[in-house]
Amino acid sequence: MIRINCPICGLRSETEFTYGEDASVTRPAMDESAAQPWLDYVFNRDNPRGWHREYWHHAQGCRQWLVLERNTLTHEIGTCRLAREDAA
Amino acid sequence: MVEVRSPLRERITPGQFGAPGDAGVVLGNRTLAGLWQIAGWSDFDEAADPVLQALGLTALGSYRQAQQAAGVRAWRTAPDRMLFETPQDLTPFNSAALAVLDLGHARTCITLSGPIARDVLAQVIAVDTAPDVLKPGMFLQTGLHSVAVLVHCTGPDAFEILVPVTWAESVWDILFENALPYGIAVREAA
Ligand SMILES: [Zn+2]
Repeated sequence: MIRINCPICGLRSETEFTYGEDASVTRPAMDESAAQPWLDYVFNRDNPRGWHREYWHHAQGCRQWLVLERNTLTHEIGTCRLAREDAA
Repeated sequence: MVEVRSPLRERITPGQFGAPGDAGVVLGNRTLAGLWQIAGWSDFDEAADPVLQALGLTALGSYRQAQQAAGVRAWRTAPDRMLFETPQDLTPFNSAALAVLDLGHARTCITLSGPIARDVLAQVIAVDTAPDVLKPGMFLQTGLHSVAVLVHCTGPDAFEILVPVTWAESVWDILFENALPYGIAVREAA
């Protein structure tokens, strides 16, 4: 059982959240014309062993998108921030 | 104005159920005075201000503590979102900066009280319901039977649960099942 410290709601069970996607991916510049950067952006993902930044949605709580650090090896949870603040 | 009918009107039979003797839990269904959501963007503080003033509130409030004013209850549900129980029509406040939504037909209020109410709640939500953690006046949004609900602690042994009408029967049933061993008094809908 993972417990996630939502910045709005506090420490909650993983069952209240849904996983979104890899938060480490950045979109290529809009004028990027090569195919490979877009292919990587849309389809190709690393499968890291260790710390990973992920989008999670607090679907049964405040309904905010969050950026969560999670260790894929140990299930340890690191920082959790609102995605809007992470992007700022 | 269309009459709001409870989604539980056919589910609720007033009376005493489960364990005999004094009921540990009292279950009921309260008609909401009107439920409104306002949502905005980065300038939410500013956009929400006229609504707060009209309702006699002074601040957006915290994510844990519900607010009360004359005939109004308010819950800060997200950084740029609030929920109000009020008979006032908030439609006129709708603007490009503020999305006003009438949720009066979308939620119902299940009331849960009695000496064992806290224990029954602890069985169905994965959040600490201890008296020194979930105190009167506080609220939380969580999953109950995988349904997103808002639980408001209205007294030492009293809770109100705002539930989407489409899932009201499921939530009612799970509370009822969990409360049966303690004896349930089901109140006439108020
Ligand atoms: Zn949350």
